[in-house]
Amino acid sequence: MSTAALSNPFKAEFDPNSQEFSLAGVVRPRSADEIAASISMLREAIDGVRGTFYINVKRLVQMNNTAFHAFARVLLDACRRRSDLRFVVVTSSVVGWTERMFGHLNKIEPQVTVEVYDSKFYPGQSFVEDTSFIPILRTQTKMTWRHERTILPRHGMRPGISMADICCGIGDFAMLVRKEFQPARIVALDHSKASLAYARDVASGFGITDIEYTYGDASEMLLEDNQFDFVTCRHSLQIFNQPDVLLKELYRICKPGGRVYITNEKNSHCLGEPRSKSIQWTYNEVAKLFSHFEMDVELGPKSRRYLADAGFDDIRVESFMVTNLDGDPQDFADIITAWENVYAGEMAVKRGDSREFIERFRQGFRDHIFAALHPKGYAGWPIWAASGRKPS
Amino acid sequence: MAVAEQERAEAPFEPLLQFEMEMGTFLSDWQHCDQLSTFMARMISHNRADPVRHSNFFSSALNELLEVSFRGASADGQIGCAVFRQGSTERVRLTFPCPPGQRQFYREAVSKTRRGNAYARYLDAISTDFAPSREAVLLDLAINFDAEIHLDESDPPSITLVVDLPLEGIVS
Repeated sequence: MSTAALSNPFKAEFDPNSQEFSLAGVVRPRSADEIAASISMLREAIDGVRGTFYINVKRLVQMNNTAFHAFARVLLDACRRRSDLRFVVVTSSVVGWTERMFGHLNKIEPQVTVEVYDSKFYPGQSFVEDTSFIPILRTQTKMTWRHERTILPRHGMRPGISMADICCGIGDFAMLVRKEFQPARIVALDHSKASLAYARDVASGFGITDIEYTYGDASEMLLEDNQFDFVTCRHSLQIFNQPDVLLKELYRICKPGGRVYITNEKNSHCLGEPRSKSIQWTYNEVAKLFSHFEMDVELGPKSRRYLADAGFDDIRVESFMVTNLDGDPQDFADIITAWENVYAGEMAVKRGDSREFIERFRQGFRDHIFAALHPKGYAGWPIWAASGRKPS
Repeated sequence: MAVAEQERAEAPFEPLLQFEMEMGTFLSDWQHCDQLSTFMARMISHNRADPVRHSNFFSSALNELLEVSFRGASADGQIGCAVFRQGSTERVRLTFPCPPGQRQFYREAVSKTRRGNAYARYLDAISTDFAPSREAVLLDLAINFDAEIHLDESDPPSITLVVDLPLEGIVS
């Protein structure tokens, strides 16, 4: 892979294996001469490829007209010289102007098309975006918050900090943190417009205007480097097919000396008594089911390794068990019911599981609910909370 | 635009932020365009529904305007930029000293952003110009940012580009 790094933070790269030319960062030159090396790289890259050539601008934060015209000109000239080539500009739905600007090239040369990439990157999103899931998400946060409100200070949460909650979902965690710890600034980011709309409505209903909800892709955030004292990302690495990519972004936006806090599960360790065997079988199958969809709901105890590999130090890991004894047992039962509906009712069906399998699969959830509501029963859902410090 | 008409048009816009700078200082470093647009965008976007993305959009548009003034203005006098808001629209008033010979150019360039063939002109600029003209930059704002652009020449030798940007609707 060849690289031409220009004035920080703009970067141009070409990967011949994927025939992809990438532009990232802020590119606002005074003249095209300042980006001549990148222009040449693009021209040479096009000369050496066949079939489809990709121009990846999903990490392009800013580009002025001077740069756009210079790059566009190379593409348009190439279209005229190479009728055998197809050009695909890969944009992000987060940076809307790139889709608009590059989309015009198609009007000039139909060989150039624009694809918005970020409907594919988050395999679990469609399962949790259903608005019927919102009450359960709220209940889950309510039950985990009982534990996390005492855990968070041990991981660096304190009043007056600047924090970001990445993959904030419906925004309830950000609301709770705001009330309990009074951070100076909260940015809450998610890739679900429906969840963010809900979050904004709730905040508005409470007259809260100081949580900055933003639409974004956690793996390609618009947020700048080294901004936040504390970055949280809860229950999300485990449903992301590339957790290392996401952690790299969390690391990037965290200030040196700040901390990144993550929570994840190990679903096969969900437990209950009575009927423990049926429960255990089902949750082992849950882990396999998620794995089928490129998600690792066994990630919790791997948090230390992931944080270390991402470059963090002073790593702290602890676990806690959400149980049917945390408040109303019916809350716990409601969560399991929602899991059954999504995991057995949607995901297993989508995987193509047999009716017999799905029935046995459902039974484990029902037994978990039975244990939760049994007057002498015990039902648990284990979660790992971990954080690491970005070296100063 | 007549003074009375201008006042009527601007009455509902609330002031948000403004800066003034000696033109010579502004022209001393190209990076001022990037730095000022980034800073102002961040400041005025904080209470938009999606502050991060609104700021990104607004910075793009404002940077282009600042670059226009950088390329076309004389070094004497001051540059001033004020941002106002009305509902989902931000109004930028960018005032800079304009050499007499360029006033007609700006009149025509602004006028072309409102003509029916604006998009054809924009596509033509992309397909033929290696470096964008200031006219192409104003067309870009009209087409990619849904900007409405006017010219205020009431304070010579300066001119003022008045640009309404309905970005909240685009971002959300």
